[in-house]
Amino acid sequence: MSAPLLEIDDLTVHFPSAAGPVRAVDGLSLSLARGQTLGVVGESGSGKTVTFLAAMRLLERSRPEIHGRILLDGVDVLTLPAREMREVRGPRIGMIFQDPLSALHPLLRVGDQIAETVRAHRDVGRRDARAQSVAALAQVGIPNADERARQYPHQLSGGMRQRVMIAMALILEPDLLIADEPTTALDTTVEAQILDIIDDLRTRLGIGVVLVSHSLATVADVADTVAVMYAGRVVERGPCEAVFAHPSHPYTWGLLDTVPALGAERSRLVPIPGSPPSLIDPPPGCRFAPRCAYRFDACTRHLPELVERGGGHADACVLPVPGRGARRHRLAPSGEEAAP
Amino acid sequence: MGRYILRRLMWTVVVVIIVTLITFVIFYVLPSGDPALRFAGKEPTAQVLAQVRTDLGLNHSVAVQYLLYLKRLVLGDRYGWPGLGFSYSSGAAIAPQLWQRAQITIQLVLGAAVLWMVIGIPVGVFSALRPRSRFDRASLFVGLVFISTPVFWLGLLMLWLFSSTLGWLQGTGYVAFTTDPVQWAAHMLMPWITLSLAFAAIYARMVRSNMLDTLGEDYIRTARAKGLPERRIVTRHALRASLVPIVTLLAVDIATLVGGTVIVETVFNLQGLGSWVLNGALNQDLPVTLAVTLVATIAVSLLSLVADILYAYMDPRVRPE
Amino acid sequence: MKSRLTALGLGLCVGGAAVLLAACGSSSSSTSSGTRGGTYRVEATDFGFSNNFDPTGEYTTNAWGMYRGLLIRTLVGYKMIAGAAGNQLVPDLATSVPTATDGGLTWTFTLKSGVRYAPPVNRVITSHDIVTAFERIANPALAAQYGFYYTTIAGMDTYASGKAKTISGITTPNNQTVVFHLTTPTPDFLYRLSLPAAGPIPQEVSKCFTTPGGYGRDVVSSGPYMIQGSDKVNIASCSTIQPMAGFDPSSKLIMVRNPNYNPSTDSTSMRTALPNEFAFTINSNQADIFNRIKAGQADDSLNAPPASAVATLVASNQKQLIKTGGADATKYISMNLTQAPFDDIHVRKAVNLIMDKAGLQQANGGPLFGLIATHIVPDTMYNNDSAITGYNPYPSANNAGDLAAAQAQMRQSKYDPKQDGLCDTSACKNVFTIAVNTSQDLNEIPVVQSALAKLGITLNIRQLTPSAASGVVSTVSRNVPLALSQGFAKDYADPSTFMVLFESSSIAPTGNVNASLVGLTPALAQQLGVTIPKDDVIPSVDAQAAACGKIPTGNARTTCYINLDKYLMENVVPWVPYLSLNQVHMISPAVTMWDYDQSSDTTAYSHVAVNPAKQS
Repeated sequence: MSAPLLEIDDLTVHFPSAAGPVRAVDGLSLSLARGQTLGVVGESGSGKTVTFLAAMRLLERSRPEIHGRILLDGVDVLTLPAREMREVRGPRIGMIFQDPLSALHPLLRVGDQIAETVRAHRDVGRRDARAQSVAALAQVGIPNADERARQYPHQLSGGMRQRVMIAMALILEPDLLIADEPTTALDTTVEAQILDIIDDLRTRLGIGVVLVSHSLATVADVADTVAVMYAGRVVERGPCEAVFAHPSHPYTWGLLDTVPALGAERSRLVPIPGSPPSLIDPPPGCRFAPRCAYRFDACTRHLPELVERGGGHADACVLPVPGRGARRHRLAPSGEEAAP
Repeated sequence: MGRYILRRLMWTVVVVIIVTLITFVIFYVLPSGDPALRFAGKEPTAQVLAQVRTDLGLNHSVAVQYLLYLKRLVLGDRYGWPGLGFSYSSGAAIAPQLWQRAQITIQLVLGAAVLWMVIGIPVGVFSALRPRSRFDRASLFVGLVFISTPVFWLGLLMLWLFSSTLGWLQGTGYVAFTTDPVQWAAHMLMPWITLSLAFAAIYARMVRSNMLDTLGEDYIRTARAKGLPERRIVTRHALRASLVPIVTLLAVDIATLVGGTVIVETVFNLQGLGSWVLNGALNQDLPVTLAVTLVATIAVSLLSLVADILYAYMDPRVRPE
Repeated sequence: MKSRLTALGLGLCVGGAAVLLAACGSSSSSTSSGTRGGTYRVEATDFGFSNNFDPTGEYTTNAWGMYRGLLIRTLVGYKMIAGAAGNQLVPDLATSVPTATDGGLTWTFTLKSGVRYAPPVNRVITSHDIVTAFERIANPALAAQYGFYYTTIAGMDTYASGKAKTISGITTPNNQTVVFHLTTPTPDFLYRLSLPAAGPIPQEVSKCFTTPGGYGRDVVSSGPYMIQGSDKVNIASCSTIQPMAGFDPSSKLIMVRNPNYNPSTDSTSMRTALPNEFAFTINSNQADIFNRIKAGQADDSLNAPPASAVATLVASNQKQLIKTGGADATKYISMNLTQAPFDDIHVRKAVNLIMDKAGLQQANGGPLFGLIATHIVPDTMYNNDSAITGYNPYPSANNAGDLAAAQAQMRQSKYDPKQDGLCDTSACKNVFTIAVNTSQDLNEIPVVQSALAKLGITLNIRQLTPSAASGVVSTVSRNVPLALSQGFAKDYADPSTFMVLFESSSIAPTGNVNASLVGLTPALAQQLGVTIPKDDVIPSVDAQAAACGKIPTGNARTTCYINLDKYLMENVVPWVPYLSLNQVHMISPAVTMWDYDQSSDTTAYSHVAVNPAKQS
């Protein structure tokens, strides 16, 4: 494989607070190859959003302490001067956010919002930029793009707004698209459409996509590789099929268990007991240990590192491999439980 | 939108009627005695009193007087349209004086408004961009000083400083713009500053707090994620959203100032609406009081309508579909 | 001028120590010679005109000073100087001051020839113009505010009712002669003819103004000055007449020289006419007015200077810039004879004895602003007759009040059952009192309160604006027992102008000037809905006043009024007079000549001059 498009190397992000540093991201490493989709899954507070905001250098207002490297095509974006970073955002990395209604400026027409992205980075006249933005809207499948471009965000449906965001993020044809929970606020049917568009554009433009989500199901369809995050660290990663077919971290098992299955004998959802640890003073050892059904004393003594299990599949758990039995869940694209 | 405006204009008429009615009632209910006495001289005989009363229209019952007032207002009286009558104290027709004085007050208010926006908005923006910095703290302190200072004291201070001591500016009085634009500005400068300083401080705080809120919004994060230059984010994205409530507040503030500049007008000897209505109220000059009240009411109603329209224009989410 | 007195002329002076500057009721005038030229600039917070400067009804001091000195000549007038000499009648439009014939019923005047109106009328003034003035006074539609002075002229009433086309009592045998026929002898008739309403008015202009105050925007001058813009007025017809540009009631009154003024028809002892222009302007910032005068940006004011400004000038050795004149006015507290506890004469005497007049003088700014008054009419109006100077029926050490004497009086009243010298009954508690809310009148309130408290009298004070206070006090049905800060100034220098305040014929349901209700009869009381306390007889001075009114002017008349004054002070006691007011003026260093017009109680505009080089 060629050099990765995006490589995150031992990233830590600590936010200062009165009670002590909040360790939102605590030693995280990931990589993404060009033309691939990386799904990053984790619950709220796992650090998944913070990681990519750090990559975009959008955290500066909160003055966090950041260590590690984030390499985009070999260049560490964390050390770039501000002016150069501005040229990275937009032309080289595009980002879309969770709630398109609040993420779009309520007082500006959507076409203008897209056009200004173009004009900020290219020497293009107003009319040309507008034409380009209309074309972009058409590309993401919005009918009557010309008319829609003149509308305001509140006049569009949720799905259309998210398409607008996608168009806006991709209009400069960046190398990387970061999609931070793009479908969480949308209903399931629309969700599928949006994921399709993203996937489609990925193939067409040959870009890398990071898809952040709290839901494994969302990620299952489109991701090439999956990373599961917990308490600021990656606890399992690997090719999508491998992770779903043979998940090897108890947290991942828990996540898969919490997905309601249609037509199953079980009538109750099985949640993961307990709650995420405090990020200010995390417990020593494995962060998941307090909630893990399989923990033993070694777990609370050392913080496990990611260990390769072969074929690009790694996990951060010290359970002996044969002990990890019986989970053989596999989620088919439609979400139905398939036969083991 | 057209129907909305029409409805609001009709409400304005209702408000005007109510306010003029209240003014009438207050005038007659206050224990000042017979207003005709005030204008009948030192030793009023019954005959003189009766004549004055007829002349001032006080020989009708209060209800009839009010209805006559409304009728003349709408249809005009012997001085023309609108029928505002004549001042009890000077016998002069009200309408010409009203326009003349209204001009002065409007010049005062608008000039001050421009000044307080020019000062307040940048100060507010810089304070928001650098919260808790020395500039922010200093502007807060200075602002508090101006808000707390009584307007008349500030006016007198200006006169003493710039006119008597330094001699930079002319003293009191008004010079019309058409007569001498430079002198007009020189005479209006101190009144403008006096009137605007407290408002500048208030608006600076409002802009600051609106900007701080706005800068925390998601769409600002999106704008940064698009790689827009910071200046554009501050002006086109943040300021634009922050100013929407400010502009609408400005319209209403201007309207309420129309009758509220009495102190500045008195200190600087500007013959505007404020000093006129004060003298009218103290001298039991009902037509003057009514005329200025009318103007102030209409100003507030119309300008708040303008404020609402502006708001709809600036924020498309509010437009009546 | 009751209401006007408190509103203007005294202005806002904060009570503070003021140096005594020649405050003996006469003026400290500097009549050094002045030169011709320049503008005499007067600033004021308000003109305060009562009839929009229309001479037929205008009843204020400020206007009269302007008319007399600058715009309106009357048959007989004054020299417009300070002191008793300033109250003496001299001929103005008439060739001489006549005496009455026909048993006091006929007065004949010969007009000087060659006196012309200013533009836009320009023609010679004739006897018919005098008649026009009186036709306007008699016309009820014009509400002449002192028309009651002229009801003795025969035929005024018939003309007023419309039954006659002319006033039978005024005849004009030729253009130079005017004869007045009276219904009863009126010894002070000449004084009445010196009032501005009696000045000549051109009928071709005045006929266009049929409402009170209308003519005030187009007054045609017979004096040495005219309102600026007079020459631009088109008198071809009533519809072409526009207001004169120089007069805007809310901002300015400018007067320039009358080109038709012939000094040989006048005398410099009356009018020197030195400045080229007189500019009266409104400045709403009172402190600013006096700053400007000090800086030479204005020359004089209609408002009195605040005591602090006076003190500054004295301290910087410039007291020649403070001018005073005895205002022929009395400030007093009035007591209502029908209201407890003032229905008892002993209480009223006690109040006079206890009052801290020195404190009240201080509250008004000190001796500069007035002398202690001890009786009704100011001494100058009695020609400083020895029979009245020094008369003080209720003396006390330092004029601070005599507690022992006051208590002795209280014991004789019906309100001191305990005989402790204090007012014991509930009638003396929370007595409803009207006070005025101008700043020096507010200063008077604590002085009065503490003085009356010594007698056990407590007050329920209601503070009102000057016009509101005047309105309430003059409304009989309000039954106001006590009114503070009242003032009255002469209309002309005859004591009868004050005595009208005590005549029963003056009592009216509203606009009542006889606030004490002296001379109230049971019948009148019933008409007005006022209750006279049981077993009480309200004293009357009607007979005495009528008798004095018949005596021709001279020592006998003066003596009669002096006796009436003493009778009022000792046997009726309707007032507590406390201040014989001065008018105080601050003038700029550019003023080279200044005098006080005793007849009008204002600056003598006919005796002022400025040096333009010193103005800024």
